[in-house]
Amino acid sequence: MEYSDEGRDRRITQLRKGILELAVMGVLYDERHYGYSLVRVLSESGSISLKEGTIYPILARLDRDGLVRSEWVESDQGPPRKYYALTSSGRQLFDALSQELDVLVSLVQQKWKAPEQSARAGKKLVVRKG
Amino acid sequence: MSAYPEVVAKIASDYLERVKSQLRLVPAHEQVEFLREIESHLYESYQQMPGEDDVARILAVLRKFGEPAEVVSDRLPGAMVRSGTRRNLPLYVVGGILIALFGLPLGSAGVGVLVGLLAALAGILVAYYAVAGSFLLVGAVTMLLGLIRIILPQLFDRLVALGYIQLGGPVGEFLDHFSPGYQGILIILFASLFAGAGWGMLWVGKYMLRGLRFLFSLTFDWMRRFAQGARRKLRRGNREAPQLGKASFVKQ
Repeated sequence: MEYSDEGRDRRITQLRKGILELAVMGVLYDERHYGYSLVRVLSESGSISLKEGTIYPILARLDRDGLVRSEWVESDQGPPRKYYALTSSGRQLFDALSQELDVLVSLVQQKWKAPEQSARAGKKLVVRKG
Repeated sequence: MSAYPEVVAKIASDYLERVKSQLRLVPAHEQVEFLREIESHLYESYQQMPGEDDVARILAVLRKFGEPAEVVSDRLPGAMVRSGTRRNLPLYVVGGILIALFGLPLGSAGVGVLVGLLAALAGILVAYYAVAGSFLLVGAVTMLLGLIRIILPQLFDRLVALGYIQLGGPVGEFLDHFSPGYQGILIILFASLFAGAGWGMLWVGKYMLRGLRFLFSLTFDWMRRFAQGARRKLRRGNREAPQLGKASFVKQ
């Protein structure tokens, strides 16, 4: 029996939401952005389709955790913009999380390879976690 | 500077009001900042949105932006989001007692009073569960005695003779009208009332516990936000922010 399209879409959305915070940190790693420009970068650079407003809870969470710093900057094209940039602790966390993501991605990709390779990948993950 | 047509400003303002109505539990200055940020986004998004029909453009912008509930989800106190999940209540009780003890000496009288109230509520809840537990215990023990009266009537009589069971007064006189078997059934029925009451109290208490847990979460969430706000202020200093204008970009 095939899995429903609705269920698949829900899981894809969950997966994207999980990865979105990391993607936001990645965009803010070297360059500061305000909400709108951040959404533009994210939607232009890949297939992360998102409701634009969902970026703000993420930015708020990062701000609250001290992972980004923010400042209001006047704009000659309209209302002031709130710019965000990753803090040094945000950068450290991003590095750690992206390494962890690499491990997870390689683990998922190992699925299509020989069983012994999958087992090795699993061990690697356990060692890193432990 | 480009500007909103009036009808678009009205639609945007309505949307911001909807967002604002969902931010009631968020401190006022955070509300203002958050709404300014959304307003800025909507404005820019509207400017970039192609099309001739102004209303269609702003509606498309709002559709892309998402529902207010999605946008504010992380701005609400954690308690609002987590109220349905299990929390570690004992830790909150300990935290509440600690703050109640040390809040006043530190000068946080309001916090102390608030947490004191919560501690009192927790105390009432503990007493409530103690009564429910007592009812259940009495019910179980009395039920056991009823069974003894039915199965081992001699043992029951001996326990009465030894004074372990005291059934004097009108209750004893009433039971004397019946055979030991019926006496046992009556005792079990009586015990069932206690057990039922205890069970009912536990059932009702589940909802009381949930409510109290929610209150605790809300309070601690508020305190956490308050502390974070104070830390931020110390770190960055007060940043002056102009108030949100409902139709600040209306075409003049």
